[in-house]
Amino acid sequence: MTRHFTLAGAIVSLACLAMPAVAEEHTIGAIFPLSGTNAVYGDVFMSGADLAVEHINADGVLSGPLSIAYEDSQALPQPAVVAMTKLVNVTGVPYTLSAFTGVSKAISTLATRNSVVGVNGGGVGPDLAELGDYFWNVIPLANLEMRAVVPFLVEERGLKSFALVYVDDPLGDAMHEELETILPEVGGELVDSFSVPTTAQQFSGVAAQVRASGADVVYVASYGNQQLQIVKQLRDNGVDAQLVAYSGYAVPDALALPESEGMIITGQGVDFDSEDAVTKRFVEDYTAKFDRAPTAYNVNYYNAVLVYGALAAAIEAEGGEVTGEALLEARRATESFDLVGGTVSFQDNGTLLFPIQVKEIRDGAAHALTSVTFD
Amino acid sequence: MLAIQLAITGLQTGALYALTAVGFSLIFGSTRIFHFAHGATFVIAAYFFYGVFGAGLGLLPSIAAAGLGAVAFGVLLDRLVYAPIQRHEGSFFTVFVASFGVGIVVQNLIGMVFGRGFVTVNTPLSRSVEMIPGVYVSPLAWIAILCTAIFLGALQFFLRRTHTGMALRALADNPELVRTFGLNPRMIAATAFAVGSVLVVPAAIITSATTGLNPAIGHHVMLISLAATIVGGIGSVSGTMLAGLLLGLAESLALLVVDSQWTEAVTFAILFAFIIIRPAGLLGRATAH
Amino acid sequence: MEAYIFNLVNLIAIYAILAVTLNFIMGYAGIYSLAHAVFFGLGAYTSAWVAQNVHPSILLTIPAAMMAAAALSLLLALPALRVRGEYFVAASLGLQVLAVTIFSEWKSFTGGIGGVLAIPPANVFGIEVFKPAHFAILSVVALVIVMALINALVHSSFGRNLRAIHDSESAAASFGKNVPMIKTISVVISAALAAVAGALYASYLSFINVESFTLDASVLVMAMVIIGGTGTVAGPIVGAALLMLLPSLISWFDFLPQTEIGALQQIIYGLGMTLLMIFRPGGIVGRRAKA
Repeated sequence: MTRHFTLAGAIVSLACLAMPAVAEEHTIGAIFPLSGTNAVYGDVFMSGADLAVEHINADGVLSGPLSIAYEDSQALPQPAVVAMTKLVNVTGVPYTLSAFTGVSKAISTLATRNSVVGVNGGGVGPDLAELGDYFWNVIPLANLEMRAVVPFLVEERGLKSFALVYVDDPLGDAMHEELETILPEVGGELVDSFSVPTTAQQFSGVAAQVRASGADVVYVASYGNQQLQIVKQLRDNGVDAQLVAYSGYAVPDALALPESEGMIITGQGVDFDSEDAVTKRFVEDYTAKFDRAPTAYNVNYYNAVLVYGALAAAIEAEGGEVTGEALLEARRATESFDLVGGTVSFQDNGTLLFPIQVKEIRDGAAHALTSVTFD
Repeated sequence: MLAIQLAITGLQTGALYALTAVGFSLIFGSTRIFHFAHGATFVIAAYFFYGVFGAGLGLLPSIAAAGLGAVAFGVLLDRLVYAPIQRHEGSFFTVFVASFGVGIVVQNLIGMVFGRGFVTVNTPLSRSVEMIPGVYVSPLAWIAILCTAIFLGALQFFLRRTHTGMALRALADNPELVRTFGLNPRMIAATAFAVGSVLVVPAAIITSATTGLNPAIGHHVMLISLAATIVGGIGSVSGTMLAGLLLGLAESLALLVVDSQWTEAVTFAILFAFIIIRPAGLLGRATAH
Repeated sequence: MEAYIFNLVNLIAIYAILAVTLNFIMGYAGIYSLAHAVFFGLGAYTSAWVAQNVHPSILLTIPAAMMAAAALSLLLALPALRVRGEYFVAASLGLQVLAVTIFSEWKSFTGGIGGVLAIPPANVFGIEVFKPAHFAILSVVALVIVMALINALVHSSFGRNLRAIHDSESAAASFGKNVPMIKTISVVISAALAAVAGALYASYLSFINVESFTLDASVLVMAMVIIGGTGTVAGPIVGAALLMLLPSLISWFDFLPQTEIGALQQIIYGLGMTLLMIFRPGGIVGRRAKA
């Protein structure tokens, strides 16, 4: 019931290593969880980023070949800072892909101090929008997801009382704050909230409390293995309320869990049927290469690498050197980018806006219920 | 109602803690080996069960695989790692470091083989049924409590009524005495590892269906086992059993008062307090010095 | 490349301070603590707080870190006076787990899992030190001072008393030594000096969070001491260098699959610990067998 892409990831990275080294090569960094309990995300992120590298190199967008130097964050801030130090000081990258809220916040100081661009395509903590000029997001953040799903549940489904189970970290705290703000605005109520430590695995006690709260909706704000354990144990312990989660839940392991049936999740709306050339090429090549349909996470890191390609090409065209400062300047000068999912522009705080889809999990797959657009 | 529910949940958790902790306590009490890799035994048993069961080979072969895996690991570890260390140096700390190293190796090997993600064995038995209004109990909770009673009953019989069992109890106090009775202390130690490792098997299997597994789960199991052994009193199997149950209950009932991130702290505050105030533990006779 | 080497030098020096201070209580007083990362952490948080709220001068941050750790270490001295052996190990473990919970929950001071961001660089007499090469001078000097202090202590009458206690507590007491006082002082000194490493760590990385101060960190430092050689002068340094270099060495093996590097590194680390204990329990620098 559990799928792993370790082998695929290994083959991809070996393929990267086999690429010849040329003088004018471009190297960008990536700090992903490659080991530890969240390694499953690392594989997902890498597949999107690697495909973009292939496309950029095949098209000859840049003067030399592009490659990605991967570093392992284990999805934890501490190893991420060590990895970022290495990427900045040793590898000397101008642009680094990052994932996870805690990790992104931790490396943002180094990014700013060394004028290296950090780009997040996986973490959704709302405060990621406020990490300075050198930190960008190519993913809509969780506050948007909540603003899409909460009114839907309260107004369309008539579910008014909410309980929240959230992980005790920057992401969970931010989600908690956001839910507390939104619910009263739309006539709902947060009847109880339960924070759980990042390492907890045993939730039968929390489940008993959730049941006792009598909420109509239980919002689960965690990630990785833990969110699956929470959902399973809530169901096992007699919680039959509507379960809701954010985009972090859209991983194969979670969708395949029998207890996920009927859950409502949100996520970035990517129109994979779109007719534009970038999206079509991505969907076709991704499906052919990995033998599965792409998800929003694959899209985000594909897009993050495409953004680098576009900016670096523009800098090279003017004869400049590709540095973090130059990339930031070029981004500010660029009106819009043709990415998977359409033509989009960065907001001033360095975050891309995408529509949010509200989806329901049926038979192990997420089916869209509605789509919400923000200005 | 919530208190009753939490007490029942705590009892189920506590029963499983008692089983794993008694396994550790038996090994530690009789051989004085600080078997930190006991958590790794748990992980091996759980994943062997998961692997064989997931391959569709049925319940009994899966249980057998878990049992064999656990026993083989325990006994081999004693033979290949602990025995050579004890031969030239008795410091429990050296053994502890070696054992800790083994735990790291097992966790990562299991992660490479079975993946580092969350896995679970799906069974309708983990679904709770409403017993009285507001109180839900899953069939697995009854199975857990029943298994604990059976295994610990059998263990008491073994320790009190068989020669090997009595020798095992004597080993800690006086290895020479064991030898004069014509028994080989190394054989007795191997028995302690076999029995101690078997005790984690039911807990590992039930956990694979309730909370689910990941390769790092052994860490928590080990810390709880150590805490229960000390709170119960080193060398006292009944004390450890009682302490395991109490720690499970405390962890669950603590939710009435504090948020769930404090539950682990509650366990270790109890441990710390016991060491300062009553190092001999609940039922222990041994002194700490 | 240069920056990379100096980066390693800094990390090794910081962990070597931890190893040297742990070796002081383990090797000479026989106090096997699994809570050393608690004092590392408290030192780091305290100095980060002082640097952000008062002034980033090391003349302020380091003494503040040392005082905080020294005060907390009395909690560890308590079980050290009451119990020995596995009981003390368990007690220190309990303290470690409690401390991790508090580090995770006392968010106004520690930032929880999110940690403390943007810690100002170390300020040495008005000069900001943050480039790896410059910081290396600071960290190595700190290590040398800590080693000199501990070396002087070990060779003083205090050190002789410690060794007497290590060999036989009751004999030392019968010679009129104040055993509880000597033990308490050694725990306090060890914790206070470990906090120096914490202060350096916080200002060097500019980010700290609870993950650096967990049980795993305590075990890592303990492994450095034991692998290097308990109760030796060079042992902790050798152990710290070896264990800090290990991940970097492995990352040079480009043929290894990316996704398995973390796991392989851990396996080598674990296997190394086990094999060393079997074949050379005295550590790399230590004597072949112990009395």
